[in-house]
Amino acid sequence: MMVADQFAGAPLFAGGAFMPSQSTESTISPSKIRTPQTLIPVTVKQIIEAYRSIEDKSAIVVDGVELANMRLVGLVMNRTERATEVSFTLDDGTGRIDITRWANESTDTAEVALIRNGIYVMVHGHLRGFQGKRHAIAFSVQSLTDFNDIVLHFVECVHVHLGHNRLKGGIARMEMVNMNSPFPNGMREQLAAFPSQVVAHSIMDGPAVEIYNLVLRMFQEPAILALEQGLHVEELFRRLSLPKNQIMDALNYLADVGHIYSTVDEYHFKFANNC
Amino acid sequence: MDTSSPAVFVNAELLKMHMGKRVRAVVQVARNEGGSIVGQSTDGQQLTVKGGDPQSFTLFHYVEVIGIADGNHSIRAEICTDFGELFDAASYNGLCQLANGKYKNLFI
Repeated sequence: MMVADQFAGAPLFAGGAFMPSQSTESTISPSKIRTPQTLIPVTVKQIIEAYRSIEDKSAIVVDGVELANMRLVGLVMNRTERATEVSFTLDDGTGRIDITRWANESTDTAEVALIRNGIYVMVHGHLRGFQGKRHAIAFSVQSLTDFNDIVLHFVECVHVHLGHNRLKGGIARMEMVNMNSPFPNGMREQLAAFPSQVVAHSIMDGPAVEIYNLVLRMFQEPAILALEQGLHVEELFRRLSLPKNQIMDALNYLADVGHIYSTVDEYHFKFANNC
Repeated sequence: MDTSSPAVFVNAELLKMHMGKRVRAVVQVARNEGGSIVGQSTDGQQLTVKGGDPQSFTLFHYVEVIGIADGNHSIRAEICTDFGELFDAASYNGLCQLANGKYKNLFI
């Protein structure tokens, strides 16, 4: 329960009520509080593409994820210094972006003193549109000493890109399966009932993944979860009108990755995690 | 923002696909041939680097060369960075393949 004291003086509670009124200009919206602040490794090219593809430049989205904070690695160029800030252009080989590092504290000034033209740096910061020009504010600029970090950064850009796109693609694939289900109507309802996070765990592309997910979903049914011994493979064959060898492939894969495990014998399987 | 100067990650094999364009490659310095440096690319072939500051080329060090691909096995250097002795050439080579293959759109 919220206590008015915590927010004393805030305009949200000027009306005297605990909950902010709809008409009050709120500086905090519930959705912003819940949204996790991400830090994503990106290339400048990805930022450029993200800028190009949206109308509202206030929220930059890369691979379907809002870019809260980002990490860039590249060369420093055109370093300029003013009283409380250092600005430079970062060239990461995929494009260039202007960076500003504010330096008020002594720790900041020590850090910016090390930034020189021609060196490789790792920048952590966030994007700021300024008069339509792309620009980033950095809260950390560190010069690289181990240049394997350059390779690591770009490989991580690919890795994160894959992860975000797989989530998007997985959900699309799941919708496709639901719509094109060859199973009787009762089964279709059950398929639709389960969350799509299972699909995000799959690491392979192709129709095999859909079969793995169908089989896994059988094990996630509440009635099956309740069975101490789990589901017998014969029962699985009976429920799913799919080729037995494909079902066996799916069982082997799911057991290998740890989603299911065998119980009393090699023919009984049970769902492994309750997440 | 200047997008006219992206530099593609290349090894000796990929260099051929980007003739006349701005590229970046890592070579392990083998010898200095007055004005040119000869080194080994991350995929084990010989590359020649023309121009560039001779001081940034220490024997056996890995050097990143950013410049224009001007021959089947040569780069005209603009920027050179000494990556030192402890550099994982195999990983860099893998990155070259990722950056030119399926994930090209993240880079160029």
